[in-house]
Amino acid sequence: MTFDKTTVIKDLSFTVRKGETFGFLGSNGSGKTTTIRALLGIYQPSDGTLLIDGKPYEVDGPVRLGYLPEERGLYKKETVVDTMTYFGRLKGMGRREAKQWSLDYLQRVELGDKADERLDKLSGGQQQKVQLGIAVMSNPDLLILDEPTKGLDPVNRRLLMDIVEEHQQKGATVIFVTHQMEEVERLCDRIMLLKDGQRRLYGTIDEVKEEFGGKVLEIVSNSPVPANDKLYTIKRKEGKVVTLEPHGDLLAIQRSLTTAGVACDRFELKRPSLDDIFVSIYGHAAKEENRA
Amino acid sequence: MATPLRRKTVHNLGTVVRFEIVRTLKKRSFWIAALAVPVIVAAIGAIIFFSNKTTDTESQNLAKEQYSLGVTDSSHLVAPGLLKAVEAKPFATKAEGIEAAKSGKIDAYFYYPANISKQKVEVYGKEVGLFKDSRYQELANQLLVQSAAAQTDPSLRAILQNNVQFDATTYTDGQVDKGFLKLIAPGIFLVLFYFMIATFGNQILTSVTEEKENRVIEMILATIKPTTLLVGKLLSLIVLAFIQMLVILIPIISGYFIFKSQLSLPSLDLSSLPLDPVAIGLGAAIFIVSYLMYTGILMTLGAAMPTAKEAGGFFGAVMALTFGPLYAAPLFISAPHSLIVQILSYFPLTAPIPLLLRNAVGNLELIPALISLALLVLTTLVTIRIGVRIFRFGALEYSRKLSMKEVLRRKA
Repeated sequence: MTFDKTTVIKDLSFTVRKGETFGFLGSNGSGKTTTIRALLGIYQPSDGTLLIDGKPYEVDGPVRLGYLPEERGLYKKETVVDTMTYFGRLKGMGRREAKQWSLDYLQRVELGDKADERLDKLSGGQQQKVQLGIAVMSNPDLLILDEPTKGLDPVNRRLLMDIVEEHQQKGATVIFVTHQMEEVERLCDRIMLLKDGQRRLYGTIDEVKEEFGGKVLEIVSNSPVPANDKLYTIKRKEGKVVTLEPHGDLLAIQRSLTTAGVACDRFELKRPSLDDIFVSIYGHAAKEENRA
Repeated sequence: MATPLRRKTVHNLGTVVRFEIVRTLKKRSFWIAALAVPVIVAAIGAIIFFSNKTTDTESQNLAKEQYSLGVTDSSHLVAPGLLKAVEAKPFATKAEGIEAAKSGKIDAYFYYPANISKQKVEVYGKEVGLFKDSRYQELANQLLVQSAAAQTDPSLRAILQNNVQFDATTYTDGQVDKGFLKLIAPGIFLVLFYFMIATFGNQILTSVTEEKENRVIEMILATIKPTTLLVGKLLSLIVLAFIQMLVILIPIISGYFIFKSQLSLPSLDLSSLPLDPVAIGLGAAIFIVSYLMYTGILMTLGAAMPTAKEAGGFFGAVMALTFGPLYAAPLFISAPHSLIVQILSYFPLTAPIPLLLRNAVGNLELIPALISLALLVLTTLVTIRIGVRIFRFGALEYSRKLSMKEVLRRKA
């Protein structure tokens, strides 16, 4: 995918299996949204195409697609139910069917009394629920959710994830574009991590952790852990928890820490979390930026 | 037999058109803009009606008012009978008359000089208010006019009173020419075009920028093709324009029939209206293509700009090109073959008004008209194509303008 003379996505190829939940990860500006827009034909890619069941995807083709873009927006001066009905009609539903579906959905997400309100009277979170409703209308075969929980409180995040899980159970293939690693670990079957428009890691979560390599050493201690480039690299410090990337013998590390006066409440060798992998690949700055 | 894909496209197109029409009709601003014209016309009509009525009543009251008058007639033009009728007291000298008026012995004094073609008639009177003060001058003049009328034969009197009426007949190919009436049918398209672009242009622009400003465009483009959205908008704007025309015309026509007698409006005998099928057909074709071309241009502008506000400057330029030729309107009638008229008639962006106006007045020859029309069609097609392309690339540019270079460079 090229803009002007700048190539932002390079030789990217990946497969999403029918019925699975696929996590599409990357820091801000890594090319996730651009990839999705190019796949859906919103951007015309310089090369390549999205194949569904071996056939090129077309926006008005037979595949039912639900898309929640990162850029939130609705017809602000229209009522909630009119807007939802309009999209339902564009997705091939009958007028009555689309309206009834919308009213039922609004009840479900506790917006039943807002059906006839103008969208600009709704809060950001309420609008987001309406947008998710539009995305899941007409039981999509493929559901692409770009940062679906961004800006939602924990209660609404749970509600939204429940709705997505319902569609997964109905057989929908779900692509999650997100920074929320906990959600990815909990929901996704496979993931792909993008950096600078290129595939960095790809596979099941176990495969990715394996591919990323090795294990990390997690230490819980009240004392500061001194640097020791020969034996380990300090990857992360969060309160009492320090994550180290070991380079040498565990016994030697333990001995070195004891010599330095570091008393460990826990000294555990474990697989890195996706969070650890994300930080390793993008660095702390990107992680903080994404959290913000 | 339509394929499922074609059926889906038609269904989506219909859905977009319906949605756009219904939501526009629900907007208060649409009705305010649409009803403003007939309301203003009705308001002006009412003001004129009541103003005329009040003035008539006041004039009648004024005429009935009696006041004492003195006259010195050095011109000997004023009929003595008339002076007697208004009970005017004669004064031998101007000074005496002025003094009498000044002291309030009489209400008014008129002095008719010996040679009224070279000297002014002098009127003196008691101040009775700005409006009523005119009664003195009016009476002084009436005394002269009536006196002149009484002294001449009826024909000369008609000339003096500017009451001569004319009945002119002209011929075209041996047939009585219908004159002004023949301009009406083809001229309707000029009026329609003017109203539609003048009152609807901004709506065309905002209908495209709105989705960018609302950030809803990405969800739409993930659901339907950009061409379907744009064509749907284009069709809905045409339907809305006609609804707006009806909203304007219905009250005006109803008002005409309701207030025809009260306002002494002239009768319209539509059965005698000349209908030239070539001129009407040409007018309709120019109107439709021109409207589509401007809609396409304004949509392209909307697609290239991040907000309607930023598109405002360019919108002004388009409007200037559209309506600028109106300043040369007399030339289109008196010198249709002049270079400036030819340039304005062939250059697509300025052509609609010259073509529609020349077609109405009957100096637009068929072949040049067809060439101009072909240029308009070509420009419309190119504009809509560029519009779709810009829309495709500019739809997600929420905060910056899209350069033409960028549009042309990107892959279609």
